[in-house]
Amino acid sequence: MPESTASPFLRAAGLTKRFGGFHALRDVDIEVRERAIHAVIGPNGAGKTTLFNLLSGVMAPDSGEIAFLDRPLGRLRPHRRAALGIARTFQNIRLFGHMTVLENVMLGEHWRIYPSLWRSFVKASLHRPLGEAREETEMRRRALETLEFVGLADRRHVMATDLPYGEQRLLELGRALAMEPRLLLLDEPAAGMNIRETEDLDALICKVRDRGVTVVLVEHDMNLVMGISDRITVLNFGDKIAEGSPSEVQLNPAVIEAYLGEEGTL
Amino acid sequence: MFDEYLRSVLIFAGIHVIAAYSFYVPFKTGQISLGQAGFMGVGAYAAGIVTAKLGLPFPLGLLAGGVAAGLVGVGVGFPALRIRGIYLLLLTLGFAEIVQVIILTWDYTGGAQGFQNIPFLENALVWIYAIVAVLIVFFARLERSSLGRAMDAVHEDEMAAEVMGVDVVRVKLFAFGLGAFIAGLAGALFAHYSTYVDSVTFNILIGVEILMFVLVGGGFSYWGPLFGAMFLSLLPEFLRALRDPMELIPVSWTENAPWNRVYEVVYEFLDFENEKRLIVYGLVLVVMMILRPQGLITRNTMRPFRFVQRRMHDA
Amino acid sequence: MLGQQLINGLMLGASYSLVAIGYTLIFGVLRLLHFAHGEVFMVGAFIGLHVVLWFAFANIYVAIAGAMVVTALLGWIVARFAVQPVDKGYPLAPLISTIGVTIVLQNLAINIFGGEQVAFPETIEQILYRIGPLTISSVQIFILAVALLSMAALWLFIDRTRMGRAIRATSESHETAALLGVDVNRVVVVTFVVASALAGIAGVLDGVKNSAITPHMGLEVAVKALVVMLLGGLGNVPGAMVAGILLGMVEILTASYLGTSVRDFFTFVILILLLLYRPTGLFGTRTIESG
Repeated sequence: MPESTASPFLRAAGLTKRFGGFHALRDVDIEVRERAIHAVIGPNGAGKTTLFNLLSGVMAPDSGEIAFLDRPLGRLRPHRRAALGIARTFQNIRLFGHMTVLENVMLGEHWRIYPSLWRSFVKASLHRPLGEAREETEMRRRALETLEFVGLADRRHVMATDLPYGEQRLLELGRALAMEPRLLLLDEPAAGMNIRETEDLDALICKVRDRGVTVVLVEHDMNLVMGISDRITVLNFGDKIAEGSPSEVQLNPAVIEAYLGEEGTL
Repeated sequence: MFDEYLRSVLIFAGIHVIAAYSFYVPFKTGQISLGQAGFMGVGAYAAGIVTAKLGLPFPLGLLAGGVAAGLVGVGVGFPALRIRGIYLLLLTLGFAEIVQVIILTWDYTGGAQGFQNIPFLENALVWIYAIVAVLIVFFARLERSSLGRAMDAVHEDEMAAEVMGVDVVRVKLFAFGLGAFIAGLAGALFAHYSTYVDSVTFNILIGVEILMFVLVGGGFSYWGPLFGAMFLSLLPEFLRALRDPMELIPVSWTENAPWNRVYEVVYEFLDFENEKRLIVYGLVLVVMMILRPQGLITRNTMRPFRFVQRRMHDA
Repeated sequence: MLGQQLINGLMLGASYSLVAIGYTLIFGVLRLLHFAHGEVFMVGAFIGLHVVLWFAFANIYVAIAGAMVVTALLGWIVARFAVQPVDKGYPLAPLISTIGVTIVLQNLAINIFGGEQVAFPETIEQILYRIGPLTISSVQIFILAVALLSMAALWLFIDRTRMGRAIRATSESHETAALLGVDVNRVVVVTFVVASALAGIAGVLDGVKNSAITPHMGLEVAVKALVVMLLGGLGNVPGAMVAGILLGMVEILTASYLGTSVRDFFTFVILILLLLYRPTGLFGTRTIESG
């Protein structure tokens, strides 16, 4: 791993988010280095998914700043962040169920091919009225490549909801990868997967990183987290309680205390 | 080519198809509008002003009708962004009612007397089916385009679509505006075929009927609006046409009781002028929703027809 | 003048309230927009009329009772055969189904009763009472009394009976209600029956008030009652009661000071502003509560 350069890849400072009187996140700072696999862990209700919602723009923070590639994101809407190269998956899978696997991935390519709605309208209506736009063919080709990468190519015509759970997770990953993101936020990608699937996922995430994508990972499977993460941030009840390499975090007394009573150990 | 009656039936069916597509576009992004009749009204009056008041040719009127309705549509689309479901249904219903009141009170276009002497469009049938053909080609292409997929994605899950890079606000506004534009075309065509429109012409029941065309036909396939509007527009005519074979039954078979009575009842039942026919229409709707709530046509229905094309692209 | 208008508004509003309560109950329990509810109201009016015409002994109370029985039965039929068999997985399908019912009912009525306006005979002797500057007729007092009594009865039903509690529980959540041992399907049917009976009463009262009814009277009331439902807050029964009377008064006032065409305009502008700035209605949305 290259050591931290002058300007961090992703930096969030003082992030706070309240729901009523409940602090989902309180004054959290986080820095993610480029091409790292950075895990965010913590017991249930620690604020991990809220952090992802703030980073992807689905929610606005009550206070705090997020800068991506030195650019303050402010209140930029999610699709603009997507255009900057931020992609995410969802803990409670949010695939487009009425679309096929292939179409889900093709949607991931949307913004790259058609940044302008008017151009896409013109393409859809006027360009070669009885055939298919060249971009469409190109998108299909690239989507197939992406599906091959995550290992779902032979399932491309299946409706997304007809996939088994583990494959739905893979499809979410594939759909996000189709956006060719620079930063990929994975929200519990291994949830519901069996051991073999998790091992494959482990390898896949490393392959993603090797393609030059920075990965931020929320995950409960500690074997996975400890095995592949370069750096780990630990949240507990909205506070950041520890940060460091896997071995540092594992020995941190605050972390051990936070996890006491949780099923599983570090 | 056709007798006058059949021609007018086909013309109205065609206008229904166009109106159904006007509902289909916003529905593709998950927006349900009961106000498409209101946009038809805007289109009809705008087109009527251009042709009847300004004396300009019909194509300009048609364009004006579409554009005027489209602009109003974008205007209604903005508030529509903030609400969904039953609230949106009520918003669009309120919009249609307001259009009705404005039509009723606007003296320039005749107010309560209605807008009279709109020039008659000679080849309405050709115009209408040409537009239907253009719409079908457009929606077929939209179905296989990035924009179409983005619209479907917004319908299914706005948050996921936005995170995937879809500009949800613009896609929804665009869909609402385009739907209103198409409704405006339908209104303009209607006005120039019937040569007279008033505030009741585009009442909210018309809006309800348009919604029905699409949901009965199936709102998740671009064939749905076409089939739904055609099916529901022509169903009464089919029922009526059943009388012709009945008349071929030899009188000797039906002259005795109870057959003469049965014959009379059935014959009368299939009569076009009879409200009993509409009762059947209503019952068909109820039964359809019980047996096939997803509509007649779904994406799966059309899937086999795409087989060849898929083979081509898979190579 | 103003006081007189407010009394007229109260009359108009009372029938909006009765219809809107039905909408609200059904929406509360099923999250369904019962499109045919206005037609149930119309059927109630015609049944009331024909009870009065057919039976020599019939007075207005018998007419109301007759209308209630028939519309309650109609509510049962609609619930059992047009709403419950429709798959809930398609949120718009039950709506379309009730649109189908609307078409059936309206055309049945045209078929049986004719498409024209028919006179509703005078069933209550007109006596005018003067209270200071105000004039109140016996008819108005009757309408108001019946409407308020019906609402009070409904309140007792929702608040005090087992079935009322079951309806409240079901409007919170079907699953929870079922876990508590509530027969949800029965609750749905009962809700339709009660809501339809209320609409039936409102229909007869409308006939008494306007002295004339038509098979087309359902739609306008249905649309206005929808506005009332929203004004009162979705699923909020007391809200619907108050909002109905409020809308009635606003309509009468705008009609008398600004003209009838402005009245409807005003109503729907209120609707749109509400949707945009206060979609929960004036009194907040809630699951059905007794008040």
